[in-house]
Amino acid sequence: MYVILVYDIEEKRVAKMLKLCRRYLNWIQNSVFEGEITDVKLKELIHEARKIMDKEADSLIVFKSRQAKWLEKMVIGKEKNELDNIL
Amino acid sequence: MTITATLINLYHVCKREMWLHANGVRMEQTSETVADGKLLHETAYPQRSEKYSEIEIGGSKIDFYDAKNKVIHEIKKSDSFESAHEWQVKYYIWLLEQNGVEGVKGIIEYPKLRETKQVKLSAEDKTYLQQIVQQIEALVSADVCPPRIEKKFCKTCSYFDFCWIEE
Amino acid sequence: MRKSYYLFNPGRLSRKDNTLKFTPLDEDGNEGTPKYIPIESVDNLYTFGSLDANSAMYNFLGKEQVSVHFFDYYEHYTGSFMPKDYLLAGKMLIAQSEAYSNKKKRKQIAQKLVDGAAFNMLKNLRYYNNRDKDTLTQIERIEALMLRIPFAEDIETLMGIEGNIRMSYYAAFNVIINDFEMGNRSKQPPGNEVNAMVSFVNSMCYTLSLDMIYHTQLNPTISFLHQPGERRYSLALDIAEIFKPLLADRLIFSLLNRKQVQQTDFDNRLNSCLLKDSGRKTVVKAWDEKLNETIKHRSLGRSVSYKHLVKLECYKLSKHILGIEEYKPFRAWW
Repeated sequence: MYVILVYDIEEKRVAKMLKLCRRYLNWIQNSVFEGEITDVKLKELIHEARKIMDKEADSLIVFKSRQAKWLEKMVIGKEKNELDNIL
Repeated sequence: MTITATLINLYHVCKREMWLHANGVRMEQTSETVADGKLLHETAYPQRSEKYSEIEIGGSKIDFYDAKNKVIHEIKKSDSFESAHEWQVKYYIWLLEQNGVEGVKGIIEYPKLRETKQVKLSAEDKTYLQQIVQQIEALVSADVCPPRIEKKFCKTCSYFDFCWIEE
Repeated sequence: MRKSYYLFNPGRLSRKDNTLKFTPLDEDGNEGTPKYIPIESVDNLYTFGSLDANSAMYNFLGKEQVSVHFFDYYEHYTGSFMPKDYLLAGKMLIAQSEAYSNKKKRKQIAQKLVDGAAFNMLKNLRYYNNRDKDTLTQIERIEALMLRIPFAEDIETLMGIEGNIRMSYYAAFNVIINDFEMGNRSKQPPGNEVNAMVSFVNSMCYTLSLDMIYHTQLNPTISFLHQPGERRYSLALDIAEIFKPLLADRLIFSLLNRKQVQQTDFDNRLNSCLLKDSGRKTVVKAWDEKLNETIKHRSLGRSVSYKHLVKLECYKLSKHILGIEEYKPFRAWW
């Protein structure tokens, strides 16, 4: 599946969340990630995220889509990180 | 040859999978089915590993053993192979008994279904286990891999592609 | 689905916070903006540019079972970093050695490999023959050669037949490809544009096969058609043989005929011709897209990627070797 992940995390925990998400998804701009991921890996990511988060204060939202092609992406202004597997 | 509890379990699910597993023909870790099972073990009861210990006995690994109350906890995703799970746990109990630990009970836990099942080992069970251990030894050491079984659950098996690819 | 990452830009790859960090470097050694590669999304890495890395990074890749394939400036495949074997099975190794050392068994597998490869070559020729590219001469020649496969007495004869099939097949390239001539097949170095493309894409197909073999219990050094030792991983040559027509050659035809790769993408020198970086990137991108294309599989009843077809071939070969089911080589059926 293809997901977009966004979070709003208190400053003292945000670095941990950033590091965790970088292992699974591509950073596209502050607090926003996207990428292809399997069901199991997403479960794993969410499980790890829960350990970092404070349920009362932090929030994490995942938008799921079956495939990247079902998602129309528009970038206005500067594209901070182009997603490509050819570097 | 060491008969592991996994083989006891697989004997009741699919003899071919048992043969392949015993002979080292395993599917890669990228298999979703395998990964999901592993994740369930790690996440179902996060505090558990502190309370209970992981023990290894007769080549089999028991993930959660409560030594104080003599209870084996076995976590499973779904109850679709309930009897296979039961025999796996009964085999653990039997192994412990052979090593001088008596009066052990088992609990199979299905966290997703919020259900548990108690397991005890009877005298008949022991006779049965004795029999199948011999059968497993014979099957596994044979050169011939048992035939593919045609079951609905093949579709969710990590060996599905291996078994069903033809041309 | 994990992805391959292709590194063209010179730079440094490092382990950072349990994932990969790629820092590009320009000609003067100045660092560009680093890019994080999510480790959980990586299947393998291909490096074409110069790459700085340390052992901590390789240890990490080893743990994550990510292999790295290296290509030199002249786009030759130079080698791979393969994490230690994780799917070993004594029984399979013994059976595979047995299948190799028993002449009859080895020949039987080799015949199937040649037959499958030839079938897939014919498939390509027929496809173009139906599209106003007259390849009938080569089709008939290959069909005649294929009849001799079952009667080949030994591997050498079989290799001879295979060589002749391939020669006829390559002769059709001049008909199929619009603006470039292939002439004779020349390697190390390739003599012209088509040969440069063939060499490069074939080496991609070889590494693909190697990668897929790694994820099974097959031993990549014991082969059946090719002589073990011809390359380090000669079984990858065997498997690649089956898939080159579908994956490599089709790609070459379409890239050249659709002018996605043009004269300006090549670097012509005295006695050699190589793809420039621009051309290589185009080829690699198209190759990667091709591998991720899916088809509905006949016997599995679900969609599989072209890449996965190669893994499935390894399963079939494994089953044959273990005496479970006779091997039937992959034949493009669509």
